[in-house]
Amino acid sequence: MAKKICWVIIFITLALNVVMLQWTIEAYLGLEFDLVFRYTVIALVSSAIALITLFKWKQVEYQKEESAN
Amino acid sequence: MSEQMKCKKEKHLKKDDMLNLKDNINRFDDLKFNRRAFLKTAVGASVALGLSTLPFSVKAFLGDFEDDRELVEIVKLEDLPKGSSVTFNYPSEKDPALLIHTKAGELKAYNSACTHLMCPVFYEEESEVLLCPCHQGFFDLNNGHPIAGPPQRELPLIELEVQNGVVYAAGRKIRHG
Ligand code: FES
Repeated sequence: MAKKICWVIIFITLALNVVMLQWTIEAYLGLEFDLVFRYTVIALVSSAIALITLFKWKQVEYQKEESAN
Repeated sequence: MSEQMKCKKEKHLKKDDMLNLKDNINRFDDLKFNRRAFLKTAVGASVALGLSTLPFSVKAFLGDFEDDRELVEIVKLEDLPKGSSVTFNYPSEKDPALLIHTKAGELKAYNSACTHLMCPVFYEEESEVLLCPCHQGFFDLNNGHPIAGPPQRELPLIELEVQNGVVYAAGRKIRHG
């Protein structure tokens, strides 16, 4: 179950980052720099969440394998 | 003897085949490792996308912060009767712009390069719209937003100030509501 949640979180961050990249570029072209900063911060936070979630997932996944062996 | 060997060989082959077809002991691992690789790729993509927003912030932070607040004279108000327009360049010589005195007496100014393919935009007096003749693009005179034709983005808005009967350009907004 925990693994499934990790998958979901990772795909949400992926989708979010696609949107953030698009919005950042648009804000940059529109010279709205405060928005550029905001979207970058969101994108970086969501990247960090993706990484943390990956480590969490790894823990569960490989732990399970060890106990199975 | 040789017959026996052949037989053995075939037997061996058969066994191998059966292993591949029926008892594919690697199948589970294949699936499992694919799934793991897929998740790792997804995380990699997510992080890469996140990081690729960073250069825009850095660039925005390093430059482009100059505030072009200084006033640039455009025209005397008395030379611009209602329902007429005048062209000028703002903020640089390469940016053509259009100042319009509407029939209602308002002053509006936009960069006049069409946001479709950069043709110059004109003020159409009768219907009070901005018209791009190249591909029949129309913009709203009041806010510069596209109302018909191929253009998708609004015309950059030029902020105006009137002092002592002279119209000045006082800044520019590329995105505006
Ligand atoms: S360039 Fe203006 S409509 Fe195409």
